[in-house]
Amino acid sequence: MVQKLSILIIEDEKSICDFIAKTLNGQEYKTTAAHNGRDGLAILTSTLPDLVLLDLGLPDMDGIDIIKQTRQWSSLPIIVISARVQEKEKVAALDAGADDYITKPFGTDELLARIRTAIRHSNKIMSDNVNNNRPYSAKGLVVDFEKRRVLVDGNEVHLTRVEYKIVSMLAQNSGKVITYSSLINQVWGPYADDNNRILRVNMANIRRKIEKNPGEPEYIFTELGIGYRLIEDENLL
Amino acid sequence: MEFRKRKTKRNRQIADYDREEIRKGHLQEGLIFFLTFVGTTMIAFAFRGMVANPDVNITMFYILGIFVVARYTNGYVWGFLFAVLSVLSVNFFFTYPYRNFNLTLEGYPITFAAMFIIYVFTSAMTTDMKEQARILAHQEKELMEAQKEKLRANLLRAVSHDLRTPLTGIIGNSESYLEMEEKLSDEEKREIVENIEGDANWLLNMVENLLSVTRINNETAKVNKSLEPVDEVISSAVVRFKKRFPEAELKVFPPEDLIMVMMDATLIEQVIINILNNANAHAHSVKPIELKVFEDDDKVWFCIKDYGVGIDEKRLDTIFDGAGYSRDEEGEVDGYKGMGIGLSICKTIVIAHGGDIKAKNHGEGSKFFFYLPKETEE
Repeated sequence: MVQKLSILIIEDEKSICDFIAKTLNGQEYKTTAAHNGRDGLAILTSTLPDLVLLDLGLPDMDGIDIIKQTRQWSSLPIIVISARVQEKEKVAALDAGADDYITKPFGTDELLARIRTAIRHSNKIMSDNVNNNRPYSAKGLVVDFEKRRVLVDGNEVHLTRVEYKIVSMLAQNSGKVITYSSLINQVWGPYADDNNRILRVNMANIRRKIEKNPGEPEYIFTELGIGYRLIEDENLL
Repeated sequence: MEFRKRKTKRNRQIADYDREEIRKGHLQEGLIFFLTFVGTTMIAFAFRGMVANPDVNITMFYILGIFVVARYTNGYVWGFLFAVLSVLSVNFFFTYPYRNFNLTLEGYPITFAAMFIIYVFTSAMTTDMKEQARILAHQEKELMEAQKEKLRANLLRAVSHDLRTPLTGIIGNSESYLEMEEKLSDEEKREIVENIEGDANWLLNMVENLLSVTRINNETAKVNKSLEPVDEVISSAVVRFKKRFPEAELKVFPPEDLIMVMMDATLIEQVIINILNNANAHAHSVKPIELKVFEDDDKVWFCIKDYGVGIDEKRLDTIFDGAGYSRDEEGEVDGYKGMGIGLSICKTIVIAHGGDIKAKNHGEGSKFFFYLPKETEE
């Protein structure tokens, strides 16, 4: 018998909760719902779901507190559901330890893709490190972590050291959004300037080297005000 | 009750504040008066030391003093005081016998009268001038308020129209589904749900537009700008546009070099999306829509070009003013569903950035272009 993955939905809006539950139950997931933060935390600690979908605007508590409390004892994937305009809130949630976010309103395809990505990444952390060195590849873009090479349609792309660092970090987290601050921390270290301009200049150069048309990106997607997302690794789909 | 108490308390605070302001004003005017007087007298003394027969010139200094005081104080009191003091001081310091008053001096009444008349004229003139300036400023402010009010009313009318139309569709479609579920064929059901989806998406676009307006500061009509790469904004806009209209054809020409420009990226993204949506919905373009970005010395230009039916010449000037909703346009209101509000929001956003937006016909279709000024970070 196949064990169904369990997903906890913490969302106060009943119609959205129902719609998500219906979508997920139709796939190979089992869902539980909580309509406020306290119930959510209680279910979370007692049933240990495989993934949490968390709405940030809960009636009784701030969703970010749930992320912080959960992160003290678990690395289970958390996907934040939020409205479009609140970039600061999203960044705060991601920096507090959320794995990804999805913007209201979202389609079912997008939701399922995000859930798959998050679960895959949490499995990767659990499993051995051998898989981590397998090259990333999607739509003709290949990142070879062992040889530190980047290829587009078989042609090697010459990146600077910093540019390679950025691309490889995005590739290792493919499909997930990576915030400006975590990229800066990884590439320039914890004492780097908060200003993300240097990152964005590097990003623009990378895009010019990798994308066929930087105006219509195929690989690197910009999440304005938040960070970047590299298209999901095809080997893992 | 509580509310009223708070209100009277607030009024009292305002009154206190006003009184404080007035007191401060008096103090300031007194200071101007005093400094001008002391200054004039000192200059007169210095002058007397340098020139052989200074009497006439000294009077001139005091007349100048009267002008200064009348110009920079309110009302007649300070000017009058200055005139009297001037006459006395000329008499006391600068006419024989020095350091003493001599009111029987020859021609003294004439000097006094002359200075007094000068004072009256200047005071009257400057007071009048200041009053006029005040009235003018007041009128300007009222005009601005009225314009703001008009804009708000237009927006509200546009919004209620634009929101009601898709909502009517959603309610109507879902009701007919619920009431006639058994009688409908699968195809009809699908059609109904697709209609609901379309209307809902439309509504979402509208709400996002309205939300974006709230990011513009109400008082100063300014936005929070930061230095952003143009590439990211256009690619993000294009991705979102394609997500909504996957079959729409679009060609993007990003700038050759990296351009960083001061803007609120979410808002500029919205502007690009609105223009693209507009071209997609109304232009009936026969070739892909083109989105191009380029720069000159002090501006960054965004240009969206379609190869469609073009824009009615009569509408070109008012297309960004929400004109699709004015009654005098021979009933085309519904024909231009949503065109007005999206474009008027574009204009609001671009103006708030210190740029400008225009629309033009180019022979094979229409062209929308806007620019943002290149500024350095504060």
